[in-house]
Amino acid sequence: MPTVQLNNIRKAYDTKVAVEGLSLTIEPGTMFGLLGPNGSGKTSSIRMMVGITVPDSGTVQLFDKPFERKALERVGYLPEERGLYKKMNVLEQIIFMGKLRGLSAAVAEQRAKQWADRLQITDALPKKTEELSKGMQQKIQFITTLIHEPDLVIMDEPFSGLDPVNGALLQDTLLELRAAGKSILFSTHRMDQVEKMCDAIAIIYQGKLILEGTMRDIKREYPRNRVEVIYEGDNGFLNHAVVDEVKHFGTGSASLKLRGDTPDAQPLLAEAVARGTRITRFEVKEPTLEEIFIERVGGRVDA
Amino acid sequence: MRNIFLIARREYLERVRTRGFMVATILIPLLMGGGIATSILIAKHAKSSSHIVIVSSDLALATDVEKQLNTDTDRNMQLNVIAPPSENTRPALQRELKAKDIDGYLWITPSAQDDQKPGIEYRQGSSADLATRDTVRSALSRVLTRERLAKRGMSAAEVETLMAPVDMNAANEEQDNTTASFAGAYVLFFLMYMVIMLYGMNVARSIIEEKTSRVFEVMLATVKPSEMMAGKVIGVGSVGLTQVSLWMLAAVILTATPLMTHLLGGGTHISISAQQVVFFIIYFLLGYLLYSSIAAALGAMTNSEQELQQLNMFLVMPLAFCMVTLPLVLNAPQNVWSRILSIVPFFSPLLMYMRISVSPVPWYEIAISIVLMMVAIYAVIWIASRIYRVGILMYGKKPNLPEILRWMKYS
Repeated sequence: MPTVQLNNIRKAYDTKVAVEGLSLTIEPGTMFGLLGPNGSGKTSSIRMMVGITVPDSGTVQLFDKPFERKALERVGYLPEERGLYKKMNVLEQIIFMGKLRGLSAAVAEQRAKQWADRLQITDALPKKTEELSKGMQQKIQFITTLIHEPDLVIMDEPFSGLDPVNGALLQDTLLELRAAGKSILFSTHRMDQVEKMCDAIAIIYQGKLILEGTMRDIKREYPRNRVEVIYEGDNGFLNHAVVDEVKHFGTGSASLKLRGDTPDAQPLLAEAVARGTRITRFEVKEPTLEEIFIERVGGRVDA
Repeated sequence: MRNIFLIARREYLERVRTRGFMVATILIPLLMGGGIATSILIAKHAKSSSHIVIVSSDLALATDVEKQLNTDTDRNMQLNVIAPPSENTRPALQRELKAKDIDGYLWITPSAQDDQKPGIEYRQGSSADLATRDTVRSALSRVLTRERLAKRGMSAAEVETLMAPVDMNAANEEQDNTTASFAGAYVLFFLMYMVIMLYGMNVARSIIEEKTSRVFEVMLATVKPSEMMAGKVIGVGSVGLTQVSLWMLAAVILTATPLMTHLLGGGTHISISAQQVVFFIIYFLLGYLLYSSIAAALGAMTNSEQELQQLNMFLVMPLAFCMVTLPLVLNAPQNVWSRILSIVPFFSPLLMYMRISVSPVPWYEIAISIVLMMVAIYAVIWIASRIYRVGILMYGKKPNLPEILRWMKYS
């Protein structure tokens, strides 16, 4: 029973096609990353999932049912551009958002206090929102997104503008939510984050889906043709016949791409040892998501 | 419905709790009271208390003028009579005038022949004291008229009756009613105009504020745009209603004090029937809601206060139109045009109310006007929410009319 299912949706504004032929599925208990460069249609897709806009064609299904506004009470949405009522008292603001999602005032207040305690912003609760720092406001916004314990959490660029401490805090929170069986979808253009956290991804580019699947499946499609090396001494081994491309990062560190569909890095290592080069790191791995992305998108840019 | 209520409640509380609201709520009645007090003071002052010297070779005439001035000003004026004047009276008076011992003098030279007007010269220390000048002039003209009438052979009693002020006894029932309705319509007009300008625009502002603070995206992922619009119109609207009712209450209390009743003593009496009050409230509320919804649509179209200012006229124009057609409706309430205009939703709050007050209106016309207004409110909010939903997705650009029309088709 998928949490979110988009079937061949299309959305055009005036003359610009924002999303075209997009289909994707998000299973419960997964962390889903929606990737793509700026202006590729991530926000447009998300807005259709939360009922801000309606697709021109295609269907949106939430919790295995055709889209209905009632289902939005089970969705927590954090838009890319954050916004709170500036003149409102923080606690009241959280309670207000909770009530709009069908909570009683008492329950909302209790949860607000728990969350505030956890994110260490209890002091901020009686203040006006505009008196708080930006980081504090971000935390408040997270609480308002999660106050009704949604089964589906949708966050548009949640990590943008966060300092490392708060970024880590958010990451932990999201991982906990996944452990509790919630589905999480977030959009980002930071590939490293996705690689670490996500179970499944979709990459969209110019409104079209160019890659979708679980992290494992996607990686499996690509040969383990990347080698990270850190070495001391002679670098002659880098000119070995299996090496296709070399990226040097200063002296003694390089990233290699090997030739062929089933490359073998063993001869390269043997060559290095034969030349007497000291190897402190030699790691064979799949291409990173970033490389896959560039490879997929790169071809289309030319087209 | 729950969402509309929640949004309305939030808007209401946020506004009512601000210091600005409290200050305005308290300050305006104080200013009203202050204004009334000042006008009382001015009115009192307007009764001249100047020191005037009356000079004439005709003693009877001079004392007549003195007497008249005394009655006119309740003996507030200090008067001296010099009759007849001597050689150095004028230089002496000029000196006193310069030294401000007197405020002015009146020099009456009786005419040689009977049918000629006497020569009158009035010198005043401060030329700006128009009140005194007027008092003197009117007293003088009364005295001279009386004198001339007496010279034509009328008895003093006859002259008195002739000169008695006219007593307008407006006992005519119809007449009185029209005056009251007219006053009622004007009160309604100014109340609506003021409230719409002050608070209707607040609805638009609150929508713009929501756009700039970017709360709308979270809100729209939770509630429908129409719920949001309706909530704002009701919430922000209630703030205006609260304040206006508080002010009106203050006004009632102020005018009810014995002091006021004394000052207004026997002034205009406006009697309004219970039926009129009910219609007043219905039409005021519906009109207010309708115009606030238009304001909401304007807010949905614009991104900043400046742009909003330019669209202000869409609120003012229909009201102004009502004002222009008001005489037509008043003079011919049963005229076809009056009947048509008064059921047009944007005009009914004023025109239909006017018609109801002036003459009997068939119940179905009243019903039609009320139903049409409700439909109009619903339609305007529906359109506003469409514009809003599409408008926010294209921020930064001011839409033109064809674009807005195209937006209506979007979902």
